[in-house]
Amino acid sequence: MTELTYAASPSRVRELRKLSAFVRRDFLVLWSYRLSFLTSFVGLLGGALIFYFVGKMVDPAAIPTVGGKHVTYLEFAVVGMTLGGFVHLGLERVSAALRNEQLMGTLESLLTTPTSSQTVQVGSVLFDLIFIPVRMGLLLLMLALVFGLGLDVGGVPQSLVLLAFFMPFVWGLGILAAAITLTFRRGAGVVGLATGALTLISGLYFPLSLLPGWLETVSAANPLTIAATGLREALLGGTGWDSVGGDILLLTPLSIVSVIVGTLAFKLALTRERRLGTLGAY
Amino acid sequence: MAQTSAAAAAPALTLVRPFLDRSAIEVDGVTKRFLQRDALTDVSLAVTPGQVHALLGPNGAGKTTLLRILSGIVSPDSGRVALAGVDPRSARHLLGLVPAGDRSFYLRISALENLVFFGRLHGLRRRDAVERSRQALASVGLAGEERKRVGLLSKGMQRRLAVARALLCEPQILLVDEATHDLDPEGARAVRALVAKAARERSIAVLWTTQRLEEIAGFADRVTLLDTGRTRFCGSVDDLIAHSLVRRYVLTMPGLDESREIVALRASGALAGRGDIGVVASDRDRYVLELREQAVLGDALAALTAAGFPIVACRPDRSEIEEAFIALTRREAE
Repeated sequence: MTELTYAASPSRVRELRKLSAFVRRDFLVLWSYRLSFLTSFVGLLGGALIFYFVGKMVDPAAIPTVGGKHVTYLEFAVVGMTLGGFVHLGLERVSAALRNEQLMGTLESLLTTPTSSQTVQVGSVLFDLIFIPVRMGLLLLMLALVFGLGLDVGGVPQSLVLLAFFMPFVWGLGILAAAITLTFRRGAGVVGLATGALTLISGLYFPLSLLPGWLETVSAANPLTIAATGLREALLGGTGWDSVGGDILLLTPLSIVSVIVGTLAFKLALTRERRLGTLGAY
Repeated sequence: MAQTSAAAAAPALTLVRPFLDRSAIEVDGVTKRFLQRDALTDVSLAVTPGQVHALLGPNGAGKTTLLRILSGIVSPDSGRVALAGVDPRSARHLLGLVPAGDRSFYLRISALENLVFFGRLHGLRRRDAVERSRQALASVGLAGEERKRVGLLSKGMQRRLAVARALLCEPQILLVDEATHDLDPEGARAVRALVAKAARERSIAVLWTTQRLEEIAGFADRVTLLDTGRTRFCGSVDDLIAHSLVRRYVLTMPGLDESREIVALRASGALAGRGDIGVVASDRDRYVLELREQAVLGDALAALTAAGFPIVACRPDRSEIEEAFIALTRREAE
């Protein structure tokens, strides 16, 4: 009789090594659509141009000062656009990737490999996690060169630290959205609604002072608002580490709760699908 | 459960609890219910290393559900399932899966890159994954197609690619779900040959689901027949054939001048209640003899010959396996 052996659950190192396979896979898929790959850059630049021309209509007095400095609407909006890119990535990419695997019929093949569901989740968005910041960085550089944005390069480390504490919040919501997709298939409507509501009261694209008073008060507790304000202070106001510390204190508990809730919801959704036998159904 | 007298004449149903020791695949009393439907009811089987076990059954029999339970994608409601003695989700590194249908690859990337990706999810380093993927592609006759996008490969090639992926990481257990159902006979034969060779040479336990009866003879070592989620038979192919109750034969009677309907009517009369004769629409020299219960084939043929019918050939209308399948599933329905 053949000796049958089996190993314990996959080691963390081996799981981490698998992540590069996802990155390569997603790059190859994206590269197979070369025209779309290239035009996405052009589209981004087009979006920035729209903000530039809209900015010409905006009364500079309506833009709040950042760290005591006056900023242009384009500077205000570009930081919002950058953060919006990360929010979109975290909120929608996990569920979109999962939905795509369901539609492609590859989800069951993926989950029958000795790979943890967390690796599949992270792996599905890792390429974007690398690609989107690079794309955003290029955009900022391009805008700074063309339109002379007054970005404070010294604020980049603070911005990155702030993002590191903010992204788990979005990530948790993203996993929650993936759980919704897994359960209801077309969960994009719910996710879109939540993203829209959060973005509306975030001050990403317009000053919060334009909102009704009560909504402005609510928006102060929105983690997107906290992150956007913190990023602007670091990148435009040059306020240093002091202001970032307060934002991190506010964001940390929200991020922890978000990740816990998201992870639990995803686990429940996966267990339900296994029980119903509809994991790969679309 | 009612049984016809013909069925009673057949050997007793072999619904033995499979021998669970030393099995690579163990299924013991598994039951699964989806909403209002029983998908599986108290199903048991066992597959030992090197054995090809066919899971036979019509559409909706529960074959794919059982495979999905074995691959850890679906949880059973009750019963025990084990691969190499452990829970399926803990044995994924021992498992190769050839899923049903052709939607299990990334169609925009090459055959080689697809295999490398799945190889890496099995824990291989990239260099090893590339090397093994090339070997696996060569072993299924796709060496020249490694750079071609999967979406551009034929269905037969995609199926062979799925076998290559399943064998990539030297599995000890192979689950194959209707791998040949939409392939031409040559393509189906090629896939069966690949799997049989792997089972023999690498001592892999294979569970092969199919509704193509003709492919299990000479391929499967054992057969489990599922119907509406219940085990109707579990045993060897020879034991399955023993359940065959062949009642329909095709007779070749050339050179008759009368109209075929008149011949059939006259021949039915000659059978004197042993059975009936019908015509085969596609061939003017062929007729179908359908024996009644308890009638003996030799007596029927003798009666026809004595009445002057020139019988030059007689063969069962369906294969023995097909007859056994029909007998076992019909008996349960009755």
